[in-house]
Amino acid sequence: MKKKLWDPVLGGVMIGIAMLLTFYIAGRGLGVSGALTSFIAWFQNIILPSVTQNSEYFSQYFAGGINPIFDYLVFMAVGIMIGGFTASLVSKDFKFEILKGPNISNKGRLVYAFIGGILVGYAARLARGCTSGQALVGAAELSVGSWAFMFAIFIGGFAAAYFVRRQWI
Amino acid sequence: MIGPLFSNGIISSNINSLLAVFIGILFGYSLQRSGFADSRNIASTFYLKDVKVPVVMFSAITTAAIGLFGMGLVGLIDLNKLYFLPSYLLPEIVAGLIFGVGMVIGGFCPGTSLTAMVTGKIDALIFMAGFLLGTAIFGDFYPLWKNFYESDPNGVWRIDQLFNINLGLAVFIVAAFAIVGSLGLRKLQTKFWGKNVEN
Repeated sequence: MKKKLWDPVLGGVMIGIAMLLTFYIAGRGLGVSGALTSFIAWFQNIILPSVTQNSEYFSQYFAGGINPIFDYLVFMAVGIMIGGFTASLVSKDFKFEILKGPNISNKGRLVYAFIGGILVGYAARLARGCTSGQALVGAAELSVGSWAFMFAIFIGGFAAAYFVRRQWI
Repeated sequence: MIGPLFSNGIISSNINSLLAVFIGILFGYSLQRSGFADSRNIASTFYLKDVKVPVVMFSAITTAAIGLFGMGLVGLIDLNKLYFLPSYLLPEIVAGLIFGVGMVIGGFCPGTSLTAMVTGKIDALIFMAGFLLGTAIFGDFYPLWKNFYESDPNGVWRIDQLFNINLGLAVFIVAAFAIVGSLGLRKLQTKFWGKNVEN
């Protein structure tokens, strides 16, 4: 039997504490897409070194001869995976499965997941961060741009929801 | 000890990185226990069928904003040494719109897909593959959107500066907005979908 989820307010307080710890300890915010960008810079440099080194964007990740995989946020991403995995064991929620609404096939769901992933990946770079590092952290720092980013996410999501409703409801 | 501990030279870079792993564990554990490893919970937000995701977000923002500026007020952290995110208003608005569309199509954002992936959710793994491809496209074709990416720079631009109000009042307004927003979203959820949706 799966364990009941935390109350949303408690979940938010715990995530807020994680944010405060990065502020107090590291003097910066937490984040996820930054770690994944460091990862892709590192990975692409292994399989396509010339493309990566000639990329105006990715070459910054190697400035001064550093290895982008030893990044603060990459360490945090490792922790996020450990924490998520542990929580799924504790709550008996670990299961290989595809979660979706009742009116779409598994294959359809995975196609949507991939397309959505591409859009979010692109948008996170354009925004210099994602829902964690830009929306949550920036909103807590009272950043005007981050609040605008967060509102725009909800506007975009609500606007597109009707067209993909078959996937979810 | 006055923070930020790393910026103030109280802890080394290695210790800082090690602590990042532990903060990540707290973050990932909290995401999973809040239901963020299930794409249905995230997508349901956009049908107002289940608003727990924005409620968690508002709660996190309120906690962190009060905590951060509260620590600054009592001198526990030197806010001058904190990295504040700069605003690039127009690119952030456009990126947010694309991000929102991608989120309702894909069912995840980066942090939630990373968490869901390690709890066995195959759709999260595929989302992550798409996410990495989208990141690579941005970086490898950067000259195509570089000008737009760097446009509308506003530097560090906070709500207190926008409205020309006191910092404490700005934190209070943000907290009040988050609380009223959470209650309002829950009302809308009940209105459209009834009381039986699990919260």
